[in-house]
Amino acid sequence: MSLRVLNPNAEVLNKSAALHININAAKGLQDVLKTNLGPKGTIKMLVGGAGDIKLTKDGNTLLKEMQIQSPTAIMIARTAVAQDDISGDGTTSTVIFIGELMKQSERYIDEGMHPRVLVDGFEVAKRATLQFLEKFKTPVVMGDDPDKEILKMVARTTLRTKLYEALADQLTDIVVNAVLCIRRPQEPIDLFMVEIMHMRHKFDVDTKLIEGLVLDHGSRHPDMKRRAENCYILTCNVSLEYEKSEINAGFFYSNAEQREAMVAAERHSVDEKVKKIIELKNEVCAGTENNFVVINQKGIDPPSLDLLARAGIIALRRAKRRNMERLVLACGGEAVNSVDDLTPDCLGWAGLVYEHVLGEEKYTFVENVKNPYSCTILIKGPNDHTIAQIKDAVRDGLRAVKNTLEDEAVILGAGAFEVAARQHLISEVKKTVQGRAQLGVEAFADALLVIPKTLAENAGLDTQDVIISLTGEHDRGNVVGLNQHTGEPIDPQMEGIFDNYSVKRQIINSGPVIASQLLLVDEVIRAGRNMRKPS
Amino acid sequence: MREIITIQVGGFANFIGSHFWNFQDELLGLAADSNNDPVFKNHFLNMDVLYRTGETPEGISTYTPRVVSIDYQGSLGSVCSHGTLYNQISPVPSPVFTWRGRLSTHRSEPHKKNLFLRCLDEEEHGASNDIDHEHTESQKELRDEDVIQCLENGVQFWTDFSKVHYHPQSLYELSGLWMDAQGFDNYGIGKDVFSEGLRGEAMSDRLRFFVEECDNIQGIQFVVDDSGGFSSVAADFLENIADDYSSTPVLLYAVRSPSSYMNSTTRKRTISRDLHDSISFSRLSSFCKLLVPVGLPLLSKSKASTYLCLDDQKPYHCSAVYAAALHSLSLPFRMELHGPTANLSCVSGSSDINSIIQMLSGQSRQNMVAILDAAMPAPCLIGSLAEQPLLSNLQPLTPEVAEEEDLQSLESLVIHGVLQSGGHQASVSEVEETISAAYGNAMPMPRFSHLSVALCPLPIPLPFPSIFNYAIGKRGELLGTPALDLPSKGSLDVSSIPMAVRLRNSSAVLPFLLNRLESLRSYGIRQGAPGADLLRSWGFGKDELEDIGEVLSNMVAALDPGSNLTSDSD
Repeated sequence: MSLRVLNPNAEVLNKSAALHININAAKGLQDVLKTNLGPKGTIKMLVGGAGDIKLTKDGNTLLKEMQIQSPTAIMIARTAVAQDDISGDGTTSTVIFIGELMKQSERYIDEGMHPRVLVDGFEVAKRATLQFLEKFKTPVVMGDDPDKEILKMVARTTLRTKLYEALADQLTDIVVNAVLCIRRPQEPIDLFMVEIMHMRHKFDVDTKLIEGLVLDHGSRHPDMKRRAENCYILTCNVSLEYEKSEINAGFFYSNAEQREAMVAAERHSVDEKVKKIIELKNEVCAGTENNFVVINQKGIDPPSLDLLARAGIIALRRAKRRNMERLVLACGGEAVNSVDDLTPDCLGWAGLVYEHVLGEEKYTFVENVKNPYSCTILIKGPNDHTIAQIKDAVRDGLRAVKNTLEDEAVILGAGAFEVAARQHLISEVKKTVQGRAQLGVEAFADALLVIPKTLAENAGLDTQDVIISLTGEHDRGNVVGLNQHTGEPIDPQMEGIFDNYSVKRQIINSGPVIASQLLLVDEVIRAGRNMRKPS
Repeated sequence: MREIITIQVGGFANFIGSHFWNFQDELLGLAADSNNDPVFKNHFLNMDVLYRTGETPEGISTYTPRVVSIDYQGSLGSVCSHGTLYNQISPVPSPVFTWRGRLSTHRSEPHKKNLFLRCLDEEEHGASNDIDHEHTESQKELRDEDVIQCLENGVQFWTDFSKVHYHPQSLYELSGLWMDAQGFDNYGIGKDVFSEGLRGEAMSDRLRFFVEECDNIQGIQFVVDDSGGFSSVAADFLENIADDYSSTPVLLYAVRSPSSYMNSTTRKRTISRDLHDSISFSRLSSFCKLLVPVGLPLLSKSKASTYLCLDDQKPYHCSAVYAAALHSLSLPFRMELHGPTANLSCVSGSSDINSIIQMLSGQSRQNMVAILDAAMPAPCLIGSLAEQPLLSNLQPLTPEVAEEEDLQSLESLVIHGVLQSGGHQASVSEVEETISAAYGNAMPMPRFSHLSVALCPLPIPLPFPSIFNYAIGKRGELLGTPALDLPSKGSLDVSSIPMAVRLRNSSAVLPFLLNRLESLRSYGIRQGAPGADLLRSWGFGKDELEDIGEVLSNMVAALDPGSNLTSDSD
């Protein structure tokens, strides 16, 4: 109350009003995202105020495009987006789960139950569910030779929720192969070593895996070759530009000759660097048909390009920093920071380097490389929003494969886990809890069912029928999921529907935490709102 | 070629940018039109320094600003972030290729284009449409008046008055902030914006797109709206730039609209505001070569706007003044270097970003904060050499500067388009002579000064706000003493104005530095400081703050060796 004294304009809402604001915000957000879920979900096309289009079926992307005002909703959205940052998927599920926890709580709170008791029940249920998850997971061995089929099934499960089946299946092989390509024994998987590149193509929706690299720039000299075979690749971070040094600021010369001399000296030192590269080229290429390609992170100015072109070298400047790493992984050799360290051992190798031009956009393909520990997924689509949507899907697919390799476990999908976990909570865990916290466990258990329910709803099925037949099967000891076409129970194992263990774990972990925080809010105070017009 | 890349971060920076590019567009248009004043026809300014040549997939060549602009999602109003040059937006949404299931379309309320933008569209598409040929000059003028009126009353977004086509890589919107402009008002709130969700990656990629094309980049001019969370976005971006393009000099304008000074009502807000100023300044200054703070708290009442009628509440107004100054400062960077002496009659004092930075900050005194002064419009040269109003008319656009002069100051002065007292164009050599005479008489004389002169004045494009005092004539000459009660003039009455701007490294900037040091010490570092928790939530620990304080006090000491603030006396 002291705050009301301090700021008489602050609007203070009491406990029950505050609670209902939170519950309504959570339900509102749930409603928006609900239709996204699963392979029968709805894709959303967002048309902005200026006519720009975004296409998405991804909860993460959708949340970021939304203008969210309510602080409660922002809190949920942040959790969900963090979910995506950590585990790469599960944004929609997180939002739906939080929303459902709030919804279930509302029932009990309206009957006069104290939120604290519910929250205690949530805590018990959460711990029990996480333990159950450990028992429920299907371990998979991911040694030196991982089971590609399992990886494909996980990737397919994710991708089919983002793209139509044929396209998803095509991408499944691509993302699995991409991750396996960059995977190196005893090292963590760095998904940044998979470059995702896109090209606009009028009518085509097509995605390819390039074992090698695609760079989004080309050489900047008309006389350089557009296509070369058997290439040595020099990856370097050396400025081949005439740079004005600190003292060379123009005002400090007493006469023009002095200035000229200084400029010539500076130029000379750049030329020397270029010559060293040319020498190396002559050393390794002399008498053979082999070619030489320089890919530089720093700039190369026209005189240097000229010298290189005359020596028959293809040169690209201002490569992305990350491509330096990728190039070395793909082509071998090492990235060179000074021309003094040049030896033939620094050089990588690519069987084919060629340029592709689309309007003002140039692409350089570096293919047939020695040891493809880096690769590129090249997406083609007719317009930017289609490309962006495929790109999101590819990222999710890559994460799913990576998670599986790291988790060494998967979870049966199609709602099977949620139904099983609920049954476990109701029949085993609830008994162990004293008093009214039991109701918290029950609320949690019922909230878990929101995943199969929403899947059924999005598939146009009767949710009650579906839940009854699923729980019935589980009571008989069969672990089943939902067939989205018929509404019948299916065995996810047979159908190859698997979710990521870490994604599920993260949802179970973060959902109740946020829901508890929102339930325990005592007062909502709106203060300090400045009513100045936005500028 | 000496390419410059412009980066605009934040709301007010983009308002300034919008005016800035309108000036460039106007210059290009005037040069292409043969009926015009020869001063515009051959200005001997190389526009390629700021613009890039490109080609659409259809093979149509384009000429667009080399700029990366960063702003909130939704700040582009009725303009699409991809621009219209490279892809026409079809009125019917294209079919969805990636999903066979249900599709739901969510349309935001379309932003209505204002009259100005509609006129632009018409001009573009209706060039062949000869039915309107009947439109007489008077009708066109009538419509222009409507356009100006509509802009005066209704500019909401910086795109509302922009007549420039941007490249699809240029405009970047920050999505997923879930915050409105009012909430995004301090350094801490923007701290993770750059690193989260690959945003930094996307910005760096866009910058790299423009850098890769440059044969010989001379530098980056970076304009940041320093009034809120964009400062930390910019600081992170600058840090990245310093890493990736270590040898490319960055000239940083930290800009601020008058309205951003107005909302410190409570003590808590004041503390947050002052700490923001200190932290933002010290972070930004550590990643650039020269920092120019721009933006007065009360621009309309300041001496800099003696001949202007401004509304401080309108960013559309205030940004126009700053944009004009930035335009003038950029002239020496693109004056044609080569060619016979014929050019000399049009431009002199060509320079580049690196030279200006070296000249102003790299000499005996280590100070990298420069003061921006401007005279808008610049007065005529008058007959007697003794009392030139030109130098004394230069008024600071940098806040918190001292009045007294400094014997050690270093100055770079740019004057363009000034007139003789008779009303005709003053030649370059006349200007040079007059200025050197004026400097000879000036008390005290700066230690070093550099002068750039161009004949070409600042062209006033149609969407420029009506901010000129009634006493300003068609070519920016002063017709009498400024009259307060008469209506202001805009682009229809004033076609160009002469400008004089100056960057100076002077101890007059000391109050600016001292204020920042002082608020950091009393609110942040001191035992039990009221802002320590706030700063911790912004991610600054005690050690880090002490380092920042150290850097700030070194900056003060460099300008004022006598100050005893350098010691850690609490």
